[in-house]
Amino acid sequence: MSKKTDSKIKAASKKALDKQKNILEMLKSHGAKIYNDLDKGEFPKFSIPSRSVSNIVYDKKLRQYILGNSSALRSSRNTSQLRSFTQLMWLAFFANRLTNEKKSSTLRDIYYSSQAFEIDFEDQSESDNIIVDLEAVTSRPREDFHIFPEERSSIFGDLNIEYTIPGYEGKSMNLSNHPDGYAIGPSLTTAELVDTSAEIVIAIEKGGLFTRFVEEQVDKKFKSIIINTGGQAPRSTRTLLKRLHDEMNLPVIILTDGDVYGEHIAMVIKSGSANAAHLRELTVPDAKWVGVWATDIEKYKLPTIPMTESDIKRCYDLQKDPRYLDGIWKKELEVFLRLKRKAELEAFSKYGLTNITDKYLPQKLELAKSL
Amino acid sequence: MSSIKEKFNQISPSEFFYRNRDLAGFSNPSRSLYTAVREFVENGLDACDAKGILPDIHLTIKAVDPEKPDPKQYILTVKDNGPGIESKHVPLAFGTVLYGSKFGLKQARGMFGLGATMAILYGQITTNKPVTVKSSTDAKISNEYELLLDIQKNKPVILKHKTKEVARKGLSVSIFLEGDYSKAGSKIRDYVYQTSLITPYASITFDDPKGEKYPYPRMINTMPKPPTIIRPHPYGTDVETIRRMMIESQFEIPTIDDAMIEKVRKDLGLSKKNLSFTAIMEKARKRWKTLSRQVRVVIALMSFLKMDFEKLNKIRIEDLDVPNKKLFYWDFGDSSSKSIDMDPESQYYKQLTNTVQGETLTAFLTKKFQRVGPTTAVKFAEFAKFKPEKRIGTMTNQELAKLSDSLQKFEDFMGPDPSCLAPLGEEPLEKGMRKFFKPDFLTVIQRSASAYSGFPFVVEMGIAYGGEISTRGIKVYRFANRIPLLYDEGSDVVLKVINDIDWSRYKAKGDPPLVIVSHICSTRIPYKTAGKENVADRQEIERELRLAIQFMARKLSVFMNKRGQAEAAKKRANLYAKYVPLIAQFCTELAGKKKEPNFQKLLQEEKPIENE
Repeated sequence: MSKKTDSKIKAASKKALDKQKNILEMLKSHGAKIYNDLDKGEFPKFSIPSRSVSNIVYDKKLRQYILGNSSALRSSRNTSQLRSFTQLMWLAFFANRLTNEKKSSTLRDIYYSSQAFEIDFEDQSESDNIIVDLEAVTSRPREDFHIFPEERSSIFGDLNIEYTIPGYEGKSMNLSNHPDGYAIGPSLTTAELVDTSAEIVIAIEKGGLFTRFVEEQVDKKFKSIIINTGGQAPRSTRTLLKRLHDEMNLPVIILTDGDVYGEHIAMVIKSGSANAAHLRELTVPDAKWVGVWATDIEKYKLPTIPMTESDIKRCYDLQKDPRYLDGIWKKELEVFLRLKRKAELEAFSKYGLTNITDKYLPQKLELAKSL
Repeated sequence: MSSIKEKFNQISPSEFFYRNRDLAGFSNPSRSLYTAVREFVENGLDACDAKGILPDIHLTIKAVDPEKPDPKQYILTVKDNGPGIESKHVPLAFGTVLYGSKFGLKQARGMFGLGATMAILYGQITTNKPVTVKSSTDAKISNEYELLLDIQKNKPVILKHKTKEVARKGLSVSIFLEGDYSKAGSKIRDYVYQTSLITPYASITFDDPKGEKYPYPRMINTMPKPPTIIRPHPYGTDVETIRRMMIESQFEIPTIDDAMIEKVRKDLGLSKKNLSFTAIMEKARKRWKTLSRQVRVVIALMSFLKMDFEKLNKIRIEDLDVPNKKLFYWDFGDSSSKSIDMDPESQYYKQLTNTVQGETLTAFLTKKFQRVGPTTAVKFAEFAKFKPEKRIGTMTNQELAKLSDSLQKFEDFMGPDPSCLAPLGEEPLEKGMRKFFKPDFLTVIQRSASAYSGFPFVVEMGIAYGGEISTRGIKVYRFANRIPLLYDEGSDVVLKVINDIDWSRYKAKGDPPLVIVSHICSTRIPYKTAGKENVADRQEIERELRLAIQFMARKLSVFMNKRGQAEAAKKRANLYAKYVPLIAQFCTELAGKKKEPNFQKLLQEEKPIENE
């Protein structure tokens, strides 16, 4: 390890520590406010940005959805809010402990942990919702509080990292050592990205194709880091994609199934989702969707399956989304609606198992430079 | 060819009733047992009511042989603390049909005599055993009879009669009868339960054949005002009723027999003395004002006959020919019919003609009907196009029909007099319901009297909610003239009105623990069927029921609102008590404090707020 990277790591550790300190300070200030209200004999309350549809607006400058200015008052005096108020208080309290102790927890862990404190979440979706409330109040992603979803995406390629999580501090790893790839979890998203020989990041929707790409040594042939998003990319994967783009200056391209859902998976990586409009810094605005496009279905004469009712409805819904009003986004939606058919990534297997890596991918990589 | 009437005349009333016992509710062992219970219990209550005695009724049903399967013989005994029946009347009252039935126009539970005798008759038919009646009217001596009914002759047969010293007044009737308690039991228990609900001033106990005791102690110590017997209302009469009333009101020429002559002599103070005709007339003129109508008529007759008492004794008045002013009489002396002319100028002439022709129309109306005063009577006569002074004895059949018709059509009669009704009253009903149901909420109402077709009626109702009421949904107890109506609930007007109400509007949603007691009192309850279990939907009754329920439902709704607010406040307080300490706990650690904030103040000072 070079001295240069050593100092970089120290700087990174300090940065991570600072971040943690900031979060703890913020939580403490929230707690203190509630504490003071109670001590004064007042019902504590706080304001929370409204997450209703009417308050979700598209910010052209940021190229993502954000929350508007309207906010709601949550008061513990209001009995219909008292329960969720308490739940949120508990979550802040629990997140504080997690952050302090540098422990991580899954969404499901949160749901179960609550039960030790007489906090009754009816189901996990209720606790998930309170986690989003915490994000909205603090404008911080849950990952900052060491709360992660169950992971299902993975990464492979020549990338050196160094862990910052407790017990692994300073340990390094090359992400091309294990052919099945590495699960993208809290330790990876918080690890320091040391160096890489890759020149591009290829995000691919499906695990099957990810394995194919590793087998066909796409990482070496195209100097790339391959990421399996496992369908809609989880937050941590999107965080990692953003870091690879921002910190390592790597362009990101996205390969999905040739259907409306694939198109939207690419869009979420690029500019976020309405669900996470309260959060920023999760987007990779420069990411490029390179396929499979609707136009590719005709161009490559791919085997297709008919679109379902819900597929078609989804197309119409997305046509109302401001991000789909121009460019390929608009054009491809129209073609999908015209064809009323869709094609999966595996469809290329009709022309041989390696057709997608031998023929399609190079063409698309070439094309991406001009997008 | 013999007519139906002739056939009927050939059998005694006892036999007639025996042959038609289904009509009286004695169709099978189960129904008969129930009907017998009702008849005796209701008689006991009626007897006490009539004398203003707080009733103590003891009902016992015992199986003669408990091991036998139903239907089998039972001994039914009902004992009351009423006035009792005079010893000499007992055999006739319990050993004949139709004896002493009261057909007066006032509210009573049953027609006394009829049903009870039917039960006795039924018992005798099915078991061939006598009825035992014990009666004391003076709380010293009890007359105890064992009686059988001679069905053909409709006469009592006294098997035993003895007297015994007792300490209490009252009547006890005990019969053997074929019954089926396993089938009738629930009905009888319902009957006793509901009867005690509507008779809170009575103590009723029931010892059933299985050894179970059902005591219903007295809940209030005040009797409701007893009903009075009143004259009929014009709207409630028909041609036949009027005809009968007229016959009663016309004064017949009295039969001049020994007894009558004796009476006249006595009234004139001449019991011992024999005076001449002129002396008698002189005496009569002096005493005229004190004389009764009958005596006056006899004097008037004597004035034309010019006879003294001795002569009068030897004739019989045959006819009074008013148009020809002649008086016909039979002379026993020479066995011939004779006539004399009457002087219309005589002061006694009018006395005689008035007697024959009856009262004037206005006098008849004011005397025989309720709600008709002299002014109304004259107005009515004008309306009906009769002369007010028209003698009712001179009315033809057509005129009678016109009179009856006009009585129905004349609109200025006041509503019927409800004094013949005996509603329970709001206070007794409320007390009874409170002790019976122990509810959280209770309201009662007695509507003012109203009438349908000339029959007065009063509706009183109560609504009880919550508390110890464990039934879900609306439970309705229906009563008519203090008798529980147990069956045919579905087609009853009360149910119809209750079901028409949108209870959710009154905050009684879902299956509320709600009890409704409905009591209709009338001199004639308009039952739908012969079974007398459901009241027909007469518009006037329906309206009163609806107004009563709406009035009470509004009160219920106020109660439910208040209760809802109290519950919400309590719920809120509970929520705060649960969550605020948790918030305190979490924010204490979050804020890095050691001591929890002082939130107790908050829990105590919290005042209810409206839900947002």
